[in-house]
Amino acid sequence: MTVEQDFEAVDQFPVGMRVLAVDDDQTCLRILETLLHRCQYHVTTTDSAQTALELLRENKNKFDLVISDVDMPDMDGFKLLELVGLEMDLPVIMLSAHSDPKYVMKGVKHGACDYLLKPVRIEELKNIWQHVVRKSKFKKMKSIVIHDESSQGNSDQNGVKANRKRKDQFEEVEEEDEERGNENDDPTAQKKPRVLWTRELHNKFLAAVDHLGVEKAQPKKILDLMNVDKLTRENVASHLQKFRSALKKITNEANQQASMAAIDSHFMQMSSLKGLGGFHHQRQIPLGSSQFHGGAATMRHYPLGRLNSFGGVFPHVSSSLPRNHNDGGGYILQGMPIPPLDDLHINNNNKAFPGFSSQQSSLMVAPNNQLVLQGHQQSSYPSLNPGLSPHFEINKRLEDWSNALLSTNIPQSDVHSKPDALEWNHFCNSDAAQAGFIDPLQMKQQPANNLGPMTDAQRLRSSNPNEGLFVGQQKVENGSMPSNAGSLDDIVNSMMPKEQSQAEFFEGDLGFGWHNSSLRTCI
Amino acid sequence: LMTAKSLASKETVNGRCWFYSDDDDGISVYLNRELHAMNTVVAQLQTQFQDYLVSLYQQGFLDNQFTELRKLQDEGTPDFVAEVVSLFFDDCSKLINSMSRSLERPENVDFKQVDSGVHQLKGSSSSVGARRVKNVCISFKECCDVQNREGCLRCLQQVDYEYKMLKTKLQDLFNLEKQIVQAGGAIPQHFPSYTILRPDIRPCLDA
Repeated sequence: MTVEQDFEAVDQFPVGMRVLAVDDDQTCLRILETLLHRCQYHVTTTDSAQTALELLRENKNKFDLVISDVDMPDMDGFKLLELVGLEMDLPVIMLSAHSDPKYVMKGVKHGACDYLLKPVRIEELKNIWQHVVRKSKFKKMKSIVIHDESSQGNSDQNGVKANRKRKDQFEEVEEEDEERGNENDDPTAQKKPRVLWTRELHNKFLAAVDHLGVEKAQPKKILDLMNVDKLTRENVASHLQKFRSALKKITNEANQQASMAAIDSHFMQMSSLKGLGGFHHQRQIPLGSSQFHGGAATMRHYPLGRLNSFGGVFPHVSSSLPRNHNDGGGYILQGMPIPPLDDLHINNNNKAFPGFSSQQSSLMVAPNNQLVLQGHQQSSYPSLNPGLSPHFEINKRLEDWSNALLSTNIPQSDVHSKPDALEWNHFCNSDAAQAGFIDPLQMKQQPANNLGPMTDAQRLRSSNPNEGLFVGQQKVENGSMPSNAGSLDDIVNSMMPKEQSQAEFFEGDLGFGWHNSSLRTCI
Repeated sequence: LMTAKSLASKETVNGRCWFYSDDDDGISVYLNRELHAMNTVVAQLQTQFQDYLVSLYQQGFLDNQFTELRKLQDEGTPDFVAEVVSLFFDDCSKLINSMSRSLERPENVDFKQVDSGVHQLKGSSSSVGARRVKNVCISFKECCDVQNREGCLRCLQQVDYEYKMLKTKLQDLFNLEKQIVQAGGAIPQHFPSYTILRPDIRPCLDA
């Protein structure tokens, strides 16, 4: 499948659902893989629980669901189940040949979504996608809307899945939101209509706060000043809380800052760069444990989630700068573009963009007593790259898919190589002759000579185990069929002279092996 | 009916068939008969295939799970069944060897290992529809549970016999398929139902 096809499959959930199948039994694994393919899932297989864990740890967003056998040599299936549940929180389905209820109970207790008995039937696998949906529905759905889902070929489930992916990163933010009495009171609420803090909106907000003074700003007053239709006090309140907490953090960190000026110019440079590609670690800026500052100004909770809506064009610094103040308590947004604050969710794709450490954005007190909103390198930064966004999600998906493809194409040591389907013929021939087991077979079947067609095969079999049923073969190495062969031979022989029956059977490029004489007799 | 005038003759020259006749009708009749004959061969092979397949179910070698495997096979995966059973026979061979080693010395039998082997064998045999093999595994497990080494050895021998027997049978079946294809025919999509073909015609090793 091409990457594009795979990508489209994602949007047609459950078609394309990504399953990791684990079973040390190669026969069962092969069958399972085919069954899952038949259900139109995207399948990765491994015969080792250890490898499965590695695959999952490498990128937990790569899979939607895990199916695992219970009895495996390198790791107990229940243990794997536990670990997957703890670390990745993916739905896990257990497979076993044990029908003993105590195993089923054990599976349930360890958190299995379902417990299937071998041999697995395709009907059972056709419905396993429900566990994916169920699991994500029950997670606390962040109020943060995944904006512009149309750019990903939106579907509810897709949104659900994407949400679920970011669930862990959300949790911290979620908790804070709830503490603040966010309008999202119901923790399980999904996708309530949210205010999207666009640049313009945020600018207005900042202007209002600026006017009122950071310390004294109150949501009601800010709201009035902003004079934006359909904006509620609650929206402003939550936004303000986030703003304040970010301010606080930045202020704390600012005290440890060494080179503010360097950051300033850094930001200038950053903002003029086209994409996040430029947001590399260019200077060593000691900032606690942080590694480097990205250019994009992001307040902690205004990360550059998906810039799907953002258009990918990073604003020039100057255009995004609000007016400066020089009063003591004022602040300046300087040296950095306002981030696209469309989305309020954190996209912590550390894996996708290694090298970015999640950092806090900070408002720093510049040496000249100006607060500089400074962007920190968030894992979401890469999404600033216009090359990636506005189709950041799409590209991430593409990356996932290509990774998935790669992983399935890689001949893993545990994935078996398919043996030549017919090579065991040779094995069998010699084996059959030597094993001696053929005797009971012959003894059983010799008395039956005139039974119906179903025993013909057996008679043929017993007459010459090494030939199987040779009918119409061009080359009969062992000479012609024994004369006591079964009725098929009789039929064949009746149609043509016996001595020529074998040799000329498939003669000529028309495939008509019939000898002249035979046809004449027919005529 | 052919008249003498339109009688066609055939010659094979350098591996190619040449048909001669006075008129076109003769040729076409000739060809029709050839085709008919060929179709007849194909039809006969197909019938034979079907009968053989049915017999394997009737004798309890295969059950409905094998049917499911055949249903999974399509144009995209024409060797699927052959590949899967090949894997299965590999597994059998390996597991039997290791269990044999575990059972070798009477004073030191690793029943846990044997049990694990039987369990796996049971799982894979049931997955491919190898009914007789699976049934032996059921008895085998019982012997293992009570740590009956003699019983285990007998079951081991039986499992070995059964899987090799099945291997031979399936080889014949696949050979028939090959011949049908070579004769220009299509493999019958006939799916016998095990539940209908009762196994009481022939003695089976039902546990």
